[in-house]
Amino acid sequence: MTLLEKFGYQPGEHECEQASNAYVMSLVALMAGMPLPIVNLIASFIFYLGNRKGTYYVRWYSAQALVIQATLFFMNSYGMYWSLSIVFGGVHVTNQYIAYMLTILSINLVEFISVIYTAIRLRNGGYVHWWFYSAFTDIICKP
Amino acid sequence: MKALFQFLVLVALFFSTWFLLSKIPFVEKLEVSKTSKNLEAQLGDIIYQSISKTEKEETDSLVLTKLNDIKFLLCSKNNIEDTAIKIHLIKSAEINAFALPGGHLVINTALVKDCDSPEELCGVMGHEIAHMQHNHVMKKLLKEVGLAMLTSVASGSGGGEALKQVVKTLSSSAYDRKLESDADKTSVQYMLKADINPQPFADFLFRLSESIDAKNIPQQLYWISDHPESAARAKVLTDYIATQKVVKRNIMDNEDWENMKATVGGM
Repeated sequence: MTLLEKFGYQPGEHECEQASNAYVMSLVALMAGMPLPIVNLIASFIFYLGNRKGTYYVRWYSAQALVIQATLFFMNSYGMYWSLSIVFGGVHVTNQYIAYMLTILSINLVEFISVIYTAIRLRNGGYVHWWFYSAFTDIICKP
Repeated sequence: MKALFQFLVLVALFFSTWFLLSKIPFVEKLEVSKTSKNLEAQLGDIIYQSISKTEKEETDSLVLTKLNDIKFLLCSKNNIEDTAIKIHLIKSAEINAFALPGGHLVINTALVKDCDSPEELCGVMGHEIAHMQHNHVMKKLLKEVGLAMLTSVASGSGGGEALKQVVKTLSSSAYDRKLESDADKTSVQYMLKADINPQPFADFLFRLSESIDAKNIPQQLYWISDHPESAARAKVLTDYIATQKVVKRNIMDNEDWENMKATVGGM
């Protein structure tokens, strides 16, 4: 999941705190907006916008947090739509539905733990690059 | 290129996890349908018990037999298990009928008294049976009351207030217009299949709308005030019936119908 590597320069204390906050923000939003997957995405997007003129280090980690939340948003939204269809639309519970919910629950759990790990590592001046997400963030966030 | 490859690996991982998990027979193992049926049956029993504490049930065997005959006629011709529907005739001056979870169909004596023919009554019963068959009752409760409160009522931990709210939701508020129209049309289809003339049901709805237009709605006319836009619905039904082949079976002797009305009317 993660890859430790040098960022090219040593970020200062304030930068580490800002980058770490991008992940803390998505955790807080997750708890606040539990039934609504869009809350996390909005929180990460606002944080990204707020830091788009920050240093490359802060921008890069804010962008990675945003990409992670965007992926979760699509998966969780579909899960929510399916659940609401069962409750209000007369759709039946199937093995596929339960399997989907278990899959996204596992992904959310892994993401939750990884986000806590990332926030702590960044706060202590570490470098955490998520598999795929870091490669994608490199494309959308240039120095 | 690297990002694309990693993306494809992640997508493949996601779908293969989902696919493999979906091979586990969760629905059978967790008895999902049995659990939801149990909740529905339990809820229905608790709600009806609560109603029967405050209302008196009519026990006249003639009236009950005739109501059950109508129910049997509708159910047997429409592949509905008639024993799953339990009719309760309540002595009440409110013109009302409503469906509860678990197949309980509550009819007030005032409704029977207000109907001009057994076909009208049959249409109303068919309408409520349609709500049950299309799972409208549970959908409405889930939408308006919520799963958490329903579970607490079914487990007995919800308290009197929660139960009161559930009873009120079912007995004195309408379903949304789409569900009402759906139940109307299904009721007409039930009647057509049972060779019962559905036109009196449409006439009944039209008569209700006239009472509303004349602002002549007695406070007790719950089925009317809770089923708005009766004129429009009556027109839709009349137009639909005009396109169908109608066989007019006599579902009850005139004498039996008059006796039935006299029995409920004397309350």
